[in-house]
Amino acid sequence: MNRVTVARVVMMVGALSAAVVPASGQVDLTGSYQTRMYEDYIERGPGEFMGNYTGMPLTNDGRAKALLYTSNLPSTYERQCLPQSAGVFQYRPVGFRIWSETADDGSVLAWVIGGDNLRNDIRIWMDGRPHPSPNALHLAGGFATGKWEGDTLTARLTHLKTAWIRRGVGIPASDLTTITMHLTRREDLLTITTIQEDPYYLSEPHVVSRVWQWNPRGTAADRPICNTANEIPSLEDTGIVPHYLPGQNPEEDYMIRTFNVPKEAAMGSAETLYPEYRKTLKGIYKLPADCLERAPGYCCGWIETQGRPGGAPNLTCNDGGFGTLGPRGRRTATER
Amino acid sequence: MTMKVPTRVGRVPRRVSFASSRGPAAVATLVLALLFSAGDQAQAQGRGTAGPQPPRATAPIDMTGYWVAIISEDWRWRMITPSRGDFPSIPINLAAQKIAEAWDPARDEAAGEQCKAYGAPGLMRGPTRLHITWLDDDTLKLETDYGMQTRLFEFGATSPGTAKPSWQGTSAARWVMAGGGRGGRGGARYGSMNSITTNLRSGYLRKNGVPYSEKTSFTEYWDVHTEGNGDQYLVDTNVVNDPVYLQLPWITAIHFKKEKDGGKWNPEPCDARF
Repeated sequence: MNRVTVARVVMMVGALSAAVVPASGQVDLTGSYQTRMYEDYIERGPGEFMGNYTGMPLTNDGRAKALLYTSNLPSTYERQCLPQSAGVFQYRPVGFRIWSETADDGSVLAWVIGGDNLRNDIRIWMDGRPHPSPNALHLAGGFATGKWEGDTLTARLTHLKTAWIRRGVGIPASDLTTITMHLTRREDLLTITTIQEDPYYLSEPHVVSRVWQWNPRGTAADRPICNTANEIPSLEDTGIVPHYLPGQNPEEDYMIRTFNVPKEAAMGSAETLYPEYRKTLKGIYKLPADCLERAPGYCCGWIETQGRPGGAPNLTCNDGGFGTLGPRGRRTATER
Repeated sequence: MTMKVPTRVGRVPRRVSFASSRGPAAVATLVLALLFSAGDQAQAQGRGTAGPQPPRATAPIDMTGYWVAIISEDWRWRMITPSRGDFPSIPINLAAQKIAEAWDPARDEAAGEQCKAYGAPGLMRGPTRLHITWLDDDTLKLETDYGMQTRLFEFGATSPGTAKPSWQGTSAARWVMAGGGRGGRGGARYGSMNSITTNLRSGYLRKNGVPYSEKTSFTEYWDVHTEGNGDQYLVDTNVVNDPVYLQLPWITAIHFKKEKDGGKWNPEPCDARF
């Protein structure tokens, strides 16, 4: 073989090998994903009980700030349209879409998680660009870069704005919070694990893992214009910012009163997240009264407590939102 | 020029003769044959078929060690025993609802069935540590200190056969190699474990008597994520299919953090009440 022939062979083999051996990962994440609310249902569906911070590794500062919160606060004009935290989609009852943005040669420049009208898109840059200066603009969606680790897309989010990181209970994150996300798609299931850190409000990383299901009709990508409205007339023109003063939140002991959850667990501390915490409960914890002996829906969140269906059409307390056990998703008296 | 080219694992290697070939075509054929065969081998191993190397040697992830559940989700339903009737978020049907509303831990204790909440589909959401080791080259062993249970993941063809249904059932496992079985570039090996558990004794999905039946199949996808600071997380994405008591598959993901040793391992027997 002469040199020209050898060179041709090498080029041919190189091109073919590139074609037959895919780069590690590169799973197509494109599509609409529907939430499966089989975890943290109360918070994601009807709405969390106030004063329930179980599962959170809060610092004293984080807990103190959360206890200032009242659900009237996001009802004020200037807060009604504020985008929520980048990580709050793990607690939202809606789905999302993922799409790619490509360069002229078809390579993926970024993966985008969007389609939720209450938060900014998360744009995960895949082109190797660095994170900007710490002083650069912070956005609700943050700045994210990603890389493939096998079939898992791992992203790191920085430059986030201060926001509530869970839904409706006021748990805060600072603008120095960071989130690592692992996205793994298998057929129609997408697992997303988020690991959130915060130097002020979290004493250790807050880890959440959720599963989403691909569904072309799973979510609308529409992002309607957010219009403000007077939600609390009594606050009109008063200049009042709804809040509780320190030590005056009436729901601080709600979980104790209702579910016998010890205060240190209800108030979210890291030591309560691990199995050894049960040693301190053994012999002390008392089983709460049966749900059926209390008001209907008592264990199902405040909306059902008020006698309404579980927070959304066809959403009931015990089916994660996908069954229809009765008219409008509510069980009838005879079915109980 | 004659050489052995490895083909799909489990088949007898075939001989490919290049003796009559000469020149560029022969070289290209040889290189392509090696490329495809390497891919086939990885893919076949990923499928868990018998291979020249046992599953232990071809593992794309290391699941061994001590792992602790971080109860950052569903705390009220996982860390403590919820009250009777507190079963939101599990897509149970009315038959299951009736059973759950009649839950009586004293009756379970009297029947010697205090481990009903410790069957594999319920146990994995429990407040437990895991100790994962290789029992042999083909079998991964998962132990829990919560309820002191042991489950075996058997690679290769597994059939429950005549085994009696048990709390941990029979788990068939396989590696799933990243990149469709062709591995990654740069020498890094990525993938996950997929397991399907059947032959389960009926038990509880939640400690307060939410039932699953013996017809349940429990599918799990296991991933290991390593963070920049060295922390490792084991994520168990799982699907409980029960044609008897569930309206729809119950799909969740459970995460565990790796611990440096077993210093906090605390075996506790099954308890029907707490």
